[in-house]
Amino acid sequence: MAEPVTSTITMMDPAGLQAIGAGLAVGLTGLASGIAEKDIGSAAIGAMAENESLFGKGLILTVIPETIVIFGLVVALLIS
Amino acid sequence: MQLLQKFKRGNSRSRFTGHSNYAYTTARVRAMKSKILPNETYPRLMNMGIYEIARFIGESEYKEDVDELARQYEGADLIEHALNRNLAVTFTKLIKISEGELNYLISENLKQYDVWNIKTILRGKYCKASTEDILEAIVAAGSLSYTFLSELATKSNYEEVVSELENTEYYAILRNYNGTNLSEIENQLDKMYYAGLFATTGSSKSKDRKLFARFIRIGIDIKNLTTLFRLKKAGITDPDMMDLMVEGGLKLKISDIERMLPLSFEDFIAELSKYTYWEEISDVVSPDMVSLIDVESRLKKHRLKSAASFSNVYPLSIVPIMDYMLSKQNEVSNLRIIIRGKAANLSDELIREQLVI
Repeated sequence: MAEPVTSTITMMDPAGLQAIGAGLAVGLTGLASGIAEKDIGSAAIGAMAENESLFGKGLILTVIPETIVIFGLVVALLIS
Repeated sequence: MQLLQKFKRGNSRSRFTGHSNYAYTTARVRAMKSKILPNETYPRLMNMGIYEIARFIGESEYKEDVDELARQYEGADLIEHALNRNLAVTFTKLIKISEGELNYLISENLKQYDVWNIKTILRGKYCKASTEDILEAIVAAGSLSYTFLSELATKSNYEEVVSELENTEYYAILRNYNGTNLSEIENQLDKMYYAGLFATTGSSKSKDRKLFARFIRIGIDIKNLTTLFRLKKAGITDPDMMDLMVEGGLKLKISDIERMLPLSFEDFIAELSKYTYWEEISDVVSPDMVSLIDVESRLKKHRLKSAASFSNVYPLSIVPIMDYMLSKQNEVSNLRIIIRGKAANLSDELIREQLVI
């Protein structure tokens, strides 16, 4: 008599997947913000080197891409 | 950090093509351009006396240069030296703040000052000018330093000057200089400069080098057109004069120039109306015009204007930097015209005609 076929299904822990998703959301958007800020930041420093009064404007423009990572953070918080 | 930059730049060959810091350089250059004297300043300067102008320049961007040189020179000479020094310092700064391909293209372009300085020194020696007079016209913005150039200027004759330049790329041409063929040598130096520029842009597919080439070619057109106007006005139709023309123009090909050279002044003007530059100069050009000053300043103005609008089309490229270099050169030349004109007691009208505003 043949033995009954048994199989074990391994399931990933949903909490773990959530954590990976949250990590990706913050990590990737962080990289994207970094890439976007790189050029703006160096341009702001260049302009500031010649004209110090541009500091305020330069700073604001440099942190605008920061919104990308904030969205990532919000998504991460929603997931987890 | 230096290690990281070294890694990014890779080996020495990639210095010419490596990573360029466009964002930093163009933003900084634009901030520098905002300090260029606005057009309204020139009419104000025209109403001032020579000492007032000197004081005005001494309080502007040129302050440091004027202060530095005030012990050695005075009056118009002081301003002239300060302007030249400022030009050299500004352009050398452009080389210092740029990286990679951008740095390479700027350095290649600034070789025009090496050629200019060598020509100035040779001319000075040719007409036995004093060392002081030669130094007045030197702008050490290229690869040759001011110290080296001022040493060259103190040499007693041209043979010594040429032998000092033995290790430079210009020696191949300079060694043929025999003390009489100065204009021929000057032409060859100019052509060598342009050949060098085209060699840098020739086969490359990069967008930046193409823009650079286009910019240079418009410059060549303007140069050739100015030479043609002068030749035609003087009634010269000698085909040997083709030696004076530089190859590689954008709209005016060398074959077009060859066709125009034998024409009379009237026919030349009629022929010129087929080209796009005609729009810029049509209202000041007529067959019975007396002076070419208007045409020449109109052409220069066209170049400045087209550079400015071109730099808005390509904000992150070499163009804004070339545009700044042109504007700076123009500012220095305008200030020099005013100060020299006032010193020589020329009429305001005459000085105003020469300005490119």
